[in-house]
Amino acid sequence: MPGGDFHPFFFVVIAAWILVCGLGVVLFRNIIYSAVSMVFCFLGVAFAYALLNAELVAIVQILIYVGATSVVILFAIMLTEVQQSYGQLFHRQAIFAAPLAVAAAVVMTVMVVSTELVDVGDTSLNLSVHALSSLLFNRYVFPFELVSLVLLAAMIGAIVLARRQGEKR
Amino acid sequence: MSPLDWWLLLAMLLFCIGAFGVLARRNTIVVIMSLELMLNAVNIALVAIAQFRAGSQGAGVLFSLFVITLAAAEVTVGLGIVIANYRAKRTVENDHFDEMKG
Repeated sequence: MPGGDFHPFFFVVIAAWILVCGLGVVLFRNIIYSAVSMVFCFLGVAFAYALLNAELVAIVQILIYVGATSVVILFAIMLTEVQQSYGQLFHRQAIFAAPLAVAAAVVMTVMVVSTELVDVGDTSLNLSVHALSSLLFNRYVFPFELVSLVLLAAMIGAIVLARRQGEKR
Repeated sequence: MSPLDWWLLLAMLLFCIGAFGVLARRNTIVVIMSLELMLNAVNIALVAIAQFRAGSQGAGVLFSLFVITLAAAEVTVGLGIVIANYRAKRTVENDHFDEMKG
């Protein structure tokens, strides 16, 4: 099986880890706790990729999410200097958001359980890093270049946004 | 329930947690973190399907790499906006950002 043997024990441990840390992000009052919980959630997702035999994605996840994105978010927390969030934790629309999220979860559970996914043959494809990189730089080279353009635009946009207003260089 | 179903259920639950955070939290930075949770959930689903349904020919795994890259770009711009707003209003609570209310 290309997804690797399914280890129920490891799956349950990692799923519980991811979901508990995800709930921590949403429910912690102190934003620093939220951020640390998010870092652990990203780490758990990286382990999930490793469990799925997608080692390249697992490494990229640790590099970009655990390494870079988390640091950027922690920087933003430090720059905005918002200590303990005072007042209400949740927006007043949370009374609608909570049933909506639960309803979406129920509907999607029914969909996942009731859908018979068609197996599209040839499960012998070897998704090694070598095979993936040759795909990336041959068939998917145009999206690759587009993504680099998006990153450049995002970098310039972030600099423009974060610069003080009215400051001329 | 096949193994793929369990992975999809995990992705779906994480997505719903993230969606609740985006809709319900007042702190904009937590909203962005919840957005990242949603993107991670979608990535789990993509990688799981790619690994259990070989017909994707590696496209699922590659697409998840693109999603990770674009999420990094998104968080940069999003936090830039948050910091610009903080400079203007000294707050990151999103119900104070109502200039565009009609």
